[in-house]
Amino acid sequence: MGRNEARDRVHFTLGDALRLGYEHIRQTRDKTSMNVASIALGIAFLSTLLVTDAFYRAYSLEGGARLSVEAYQFWLMFVALVVTIVGVTNAMLISVYERYREIGTMKCLGAMDDHILKLFVVESLIQGALGGALGFVLGILGALLSTGFTIGFYIITKVPAMELLRLFVGSMVLSTLLAVVATLYPAIRAARLNPVEALSYEL
Amino acid sequence: MSYDTIIEMQDLARHYEMGGVTIKALDGIDIQIGRSEYVSIVGPSGSGKTTLFNLIGGLDRPTRGRVYIDGIDISKLDAFELAWLRCRKIGYIFQTFNLIQVLTALENVALPTVFAGVPRDDGLAKAEKLLKSVGLGERIHHRPMELSAGQQQRVAIARAMANDPSIILADEPTGNLDLNTGMEIIDLLHGLNKTRGMTLIAATHDLKMIKASNRIVWMRDGKIERVERG
Repeated sequence: MGRNEARDRVHFTLGDALRLGYEHIRQTRDKTSMNVASIALGIAFLSTLLVTDAFYRAYSLEGGARLSVEAYQFWLMFVALVVTIVGVTNAMLISVYERYREIGTMKCLGAMDDHILKLFVVESLIQGALGGALGFVLGILGALLSTGFTIGFYIITKVPAMELLRLFVGSMVLSTLLAVVATLYPAIRAARLNPVEALSYEL
Repeated sequence: MSYDTIIEMQDLARHYEMGGVTIKALDGIDIQIGRSEYVSIVGPSGSGKTTLFNLIGGLDRPTRGRVYIDGIDISKLDAFELAWLRCRKIGYIFQTFNLIQVLTALENVALPTVFAGVPRDDGLAKAEKLLKSVGLGERIHHRPMELSAGQQQRVAIARAMANDPSIILADEPTGNLDLNTGMEIIDLLHGLNKTRGMTLIAATHDLKMIKASNRIVWMRDGKIERVERG
């Protein structure tokens, strides 16, 4: 049982974490969908504003009036994102409590602290990506609804595809980042759990 | 230490501080357990059985004393080596089964092989074989919620054997089962001890389980009260 031998022999790859994390998200859909929804709402608000802004710029290039998104709306968006982080952190903390026994069991089976951390972070990445994609679609719908009736729905065809793609990638990056930041504290707590306490914990 | 000893405990103690009071969960345990031996640990709740298991499994650190497994003092192991010990040397069976609820029986049994770094297909094949050997060949794709208590404990037993450990620690394995199901689980564990030569240490109140064992260790207040031959 030499040190190097042991180092070689306890494994939990990213693929393993993805497989287990995906199974968790699939099997606890009602809980994870709340997380995805709150991320999606934050991102939807953000992308509504950014896409609306893109629509206005396209409109003025077409010869229409110069319209712009008010600065205070961006502040509101910032607040919305902070609220999202707090909400997701709270949900993930509850999830850690509910999974005390599972975490203790996994440690009994050979899991190390960073394996547990990896699992929770991967789960949050998946939720963040789902929330980001959903939020972006909602954002485009929101922007269309807020501008379509005044300057016309055709405006979406005037925005360069590259710009929409850039906004999409931006919201995906932000949403996964948001999810990871929100999960970091709960995940570290889970990873550091003492297996003896975790196993004797009664919900 | 003789060749046949797999676990040796020397003056093993675990004390907790609780509200300024020292609780002696374990207080000076000295015992040797032989390879392939079947030992029952018997005692009222709070007598230190679970604490003893936690120390053997390297889940907890003793306040005093030593645990040797295969001659190695496990208090000297680092986090990697302890994880390896839990993964490869020791199989755990719990009173409450502790299966991962979101995974199927097959995936539950294969989980320890993931930590052991066994290729996925090999791990799943092994898990399927083990589930067949505990009589659950038809239910490998069911999740714990879809299985009876006895079936869940069978899955847990299969999971405990996934990496062919040399020691099985079973904490009240029949505590949540009815009489007949409990009997089946006892037979299963006893069979594994006999056919595979796994060292079986079981905390139990179950008289049938006690009768099947080679040695019975009676515990009270964190100490060994007496040891009987089975």
